[in-house]
Amino acid sequence: MALADTGPVAAAAPAALEAEDVHKSFGNLEVLKGVSITAREGDVIAMLGSSGSGKSTFLRCVNLLENPNAGRITVGGETLRLVPGKHGEGLVAEDAEQIRRIRARLAMVFQSFNLWSHMTVLENVIEAPIHVLKRPKAEAVSYGEEILQRVGLYDRRDYYPAHLSGGQQQRVAIARALAMDPSVMLFDEPTSALDPELVGEVLRVIRSLAEEGRTMIVVTHEMGFAREVSTETIFLHQGRIEEAGPPQEVFNNPRSERFRQFLEGTLK
Amino acid sequence: MDELFQRLPFILEGSLITISVSLVSAAVAIVLGLITATAKLSRSRLAKGIAGVYTTVIRGVPDLVLMLLIFFGGQLLVNYIALEWFGYEDYIDVNAFIAGTLTIGFIFGAYMGETFRGAILAVPVGLLEAGYAYGMSRQQVFFRILIPQMMRHALPGIGNNWLVLMKTTALVAVIGLNEMVFRAGQAGGSTREPFVYYLVVALLFLLFTTVSIWGLRWAEKRYSVGVRTA
Repeated sequence: MALADTGPVAAAAPAALEAEDVHKSFGNLEVLKGVSITAREGDVIAMLGSSGSGKSTFLRCVNLLENPNAGRITVGGETLRLVPGKHGEGLVAEDAEQIRRIRARLAMVFQSFNLWSHMTVLENVIEAPIHVLKRPKAEAVSYGEEILQRVGLYDRRDYYPAHLSGGQQQRVAIARALAMDPSVMLFDEPTSALDPELVGEVLRVIRSLAEEGRTMIVVTHEMGFAREVSTETIFLHQGRIEEAGPPQEVFNNPRSERFRQFLEGTLK
Repeated sequence: MDELFQRLPFILEGSLITISVSLVSAAVAIVLGLITATAKLSRSRLAKGIAGVYTTVIRGVPDLVLMLLIFFGGQLLVNYIALEWFGYEDYIDVNAFIAGTLTIGFIFGAYMGETFRGAILAVPVGLLEAGYAYGMSRQQVFFRILIPQMMRHALPGIGNNWLVLMKTTALVAVIGLNEMVFRAGQAGGSTREPFVYYLVVALLFLLFTTVSIWGLRWAEKRYSVGVRTA
């Protein structure tokens, strides 16, 4: 291998998440045509793309909420063992234990929050730490309260999600993710379901997480966020990566014509 | 009138049997209903097929006919198994309580299955996905998220089924279980005042169902916690 190639790689942090050649079809529609990404520790990868480009599907294939048709997922050096599903649904986890362990390390934040509405804010935050990570309840509670403090919702800990604003609900969802001490956080359009005036409070929390060096993959439509916060910006178009690189490069000198058009379209 | 008061304890004792038959059958029905609903919503064709046949047959044949079929059929089956598999030659009498509760549970399992299926479909998929995404097992998602979430949607249906189920227990009198309807029949026959005794039974049923309705109202409130009432 050429020396020039090893330069930046040698200095890079270990890979927290690798997804290789992920394919996914829904019926005859091929949504992902081989997408590969590597998130090293501390990376903030922003995934952009118009709707239907496959970016959310890709994220959902990473933690197997969607069954990819082909691909390899490696988290913290552990490769997920995949086998074809029995009902033609694509690849499924061979070992239920392994996928649960890997999912617990990949906390996801959803577009529509998906908070458990029959539980209070605090109960939402401590649910998985207690029942998945088997933490003692007292420990989970005190850690959960600490995290709620951090997202500014400690005083709402006994509320039910239905009594919070969208922005507050999404901050609770982020707290729920943080309570798992995840090695990688997956954000699936975390601000797309929010009223414009509530986007800021959520982005501020995500930005503060990026600043403390958390590894994150953020599927988003927020150009400013991608540009200012991400360490790598990836543009997906029709199931393929069209453009990828450090944000200052891709935003200032986009190589792909499609990304150029996309930028022009969104900046208007 | 004196005679009525003399026989009242006998009938009230029978009402305890009615209540136990109801509770045990309801427990059987709920378990069968959950299994049926899960089977119908699963990806497995076989499970779907079996559940489909079950609900179609049960809902299409009168309860009384089913009760007699299962009671007598069960009798035959138990004796056949005892003889063929274990070489036991004496005739085994199937306990009317067990036969009755299993039959009613079996019948209402089909109705509960449909109630639960509808209720499960009303739960937003994202809440279950969130459970899986955080590493929960199927069982954890089922018991900690799906059941508490779907209960709110299922309770009105469960309530209906429970009231009908309670009233259906009157049918176990025909297979010889001496619950309150059976006893009222005996008392009415020997005193030649069937109206009085059946009226007592009717009032007792009304009492039980009314109390049930209060209980259900309380349960609906409890499972609506966290739901915004505009």
